[in-house]
Amino acid sequence: MKKILVIDDDQFFSKTLEAALPAGKYNLISAEDGEMGLEKLKSEKPDLVILDLMMPKLDGTAFLKKLQESPELPKVPILVSSNLSSVKKISDVMAMGAVGYVIKSDESLQSIVQDIERVLGEETKKQ
Amino acid sequence: MNIALFSSANWSPFLILAVFVLAVLTFYLFFSLQKKEKEITKEREETTRRLYELAILKELGERVGYSLDVEEILQIITGSLRQFIDYTAVGYVVITSEKIKINTHIEKSVSRHFLSEMKDRMIASLSALTDKTFDLENIDEVVSGAIIIDEIKENIGSLFNIPLVIDDMAVGVLTVAHISSGLYKEEDMTILYKITGQASEAVSRLQEVVKKEKGKLNAMVESMGDGVLMVDSEYRVVVANPAIKKIIKVDISKDVSVFDFIDVLGGKFDIRGKLEESVSKKISYVSERINIDDVFFEVGVYPVSHSLTKGGNQMLGAVVVFHDISKDIELERVREEFTGMIVHELRSPLDGIKKIIELFVSGSITADSDKFKEYLNMAHQSSASMLELVNDILDLSKLQAGKFEVNKEKADIQEVIANRISFYKISADGRGVSLDASLNKNLPEFLEFDPQAIKQILNNFISNALKFTSKGGSILVSAFIYNPKEPFPNDLDKQKISVFPEGSDLNIKKTSLCVVVSDVGIGIPEDNIKDLFHTFKQARLNPVDKESKSTGLGLVIAKGIVEEHGGTIGVVSKEGMGSSFFFTIPL
Repeated sequence: MKKILVIDDDQFFSKTLEAALPAGKYNLISAEDGEMGLEKLKSEKPDLVILDLMMPKLDGTAFLKKLQESPELPKVPILVSSNLSSVKKISDVMAMGAVGYVIKSDESLQSIVQDIERVLGEETKKQ
Repeated sequence: MNIALFSSANWSPFLILAVFVLAVLTFYLFFSLQKKEKEITKEREETTRRLYELAILKELGERVGYSLDVEEILQIITGSLRQFIDYTAVGYVVITSEKIKINTHIEKSVSRHFLSEMKDRMIASLSALTDKTFDLENIDEVVSGAIIIDEIKENIGSLFNIPLVIDDMAVGVLTVAHISSGLYKEEDMTILYKITGQASEAVSRLQEVVKKEKGKLNAMVESMGDGVLMVDSEYRVVVANPAIKKIIKVDISKDVSVFDFIDVLGGKFDIRGKLEESVSKKISYVSERINIDDVFFEVGVYPVSHSLTKGGNQMLGAVVVFHDISKDIELERVREEFTGMIVHELRSPLDGIKKIIELFVSGSITADSDKFKEYLNMAHQSSASMLELVNDILDLSKLQAGKFEVNKEKADIQEVIANRISFYKISADGRGVSLDASLNKNLPEFLEFDPQAIKQILNNFISNALKFTSKGGSILVSAFIYNPKEPFPNDLDKQKISVFPEGSDLNIKKTSLCVVVSDVGIGIPEDNIKDLFHTFKQARLNPVDKESKSTGLGLVIAKGIVEEHGGTIGVVSKEGMGSSFFFTIPL
């Protein structure tokens, strides 16, 4: 079972995503803000992080920056999922090491699930 | 015969006397007439001279009138002198910005010696007047008129100097010289004094005006927030105001050169190239945004030319204006952020609803499952929060367009507050927060206000208070009448709360209804308070839980509603102790 950490203050998103993921294949854990996300990244060691950008406390960009600056944190592929759609934001985030960017409202749950499976598949191949 | 003799002998002395008397009389008459005629001639001469003097003064006045150029004035005067003074040579010496200038006109040929002595005496006079010594090597000299003939031995016989004083300072000397001695009398000098005096006065007056105007202009340039730099056509700095020195971080008392700007601007802006272009091609240029450290500027380069009265233009140089656009950029950024946030806040709940429906449609969740109700509730919450935001945005745009209508009517504030408290009671109980009203007994039964709009403010205040107050805390809604000329009501029930506005915080001038919503929440950092009621600048508050994200639009709308009522709105807060949001409505 692959572990997916969803860091998003929008609880509906993690709930709907959980419902959409094929049952029994993934273990979904959620964190409501960046700070909690960092905690769970250390304690849970997930296989994939799905990161929102606009969040209280530590936002997505700051989270990515922390990850870049702290080599002791586990290296996990980050898939950014946000409703922010500015080209600059996307390119900034990709430059900070995200493996993909999903504009939530432009994608169906199904296509997000496909993205997750694709990223995790690539990671498995690498290993 | 005797008689004849007698008569001739007796009468002849008389006759002789008579003839003598007659002759004397005739002579007397003749001479006195002649004298009279001389007097008349002299008088006539005097009158003519006076008239002439007046005419010359008038003419000079007109010619000098609008000139500020001392040399030009001296030229005009020396050119007119011939009309009433006889001289061998006339000249002037004048102090210009760099050196002194001597201009001599020879009427009748003289020797080199004559000229050099005249020159020495002019400079000596100027030295005495200005108390300065002049470098005789560095003199600009012009001689015109008759030719110099060294064989002429006659030297200066008569000479007089008239100083030209402008603004109480001697700026030049006018000199008249003649080979004959003892020629110039006081009256000759008097008229010259009059002429130069008049010219001095005219110039002094004009300069006064110019100085005043220049002073105004200088003060304006000095006090301008924009950096202003002016260079002449040789790119020497003529004007650099304090703002521009601050921009390039040069001490205000120091002089600057174009090179200081080249150093600071580096590769960001080719100031020299743009100046050259501006001066040579007479074109203006405005740059893109340029940053000097953290400050953004728009740099404009404009040619400066002076239209001559003769026609045509004289290139004076160029002006560079550094306009600080940091605020515009900041506003642009805040606005973008605001739009981004609104879009985000609208998209999130709508996207939530869409995804929930997607789950239903795909059959992942069926109507008989436990999750069905939960997801339906989520969709309901999402649509409610979106509707709230859409309403806020509509209200805000109405307020900004000045179309927000307040319908004042006779209403009971106690009833409105009681209604809101019962509405939020369930939510407060659910959180373990106490929610109470404290209605002062001085409240009248009916007041003039828009109950719907006031409800909206209370919704905002109370829901905010709920968001920021943790379990076990309390929220108090107080209402009372306060007359700023009287002491603040002391019978308010506020034991449970720690932060409450004082009379001066309410900022009112007339007796008003005051409504305060107090909490014992996290409080607001002082820096954030001033932006709370401004669109685009809401403080980024850290809500106690995840449901409490807020666009802060509610407070901006509340402010609009209160202002429509003619009242005030505000907050007092202490970090870690709580906040009290209040509004007032004048009675």
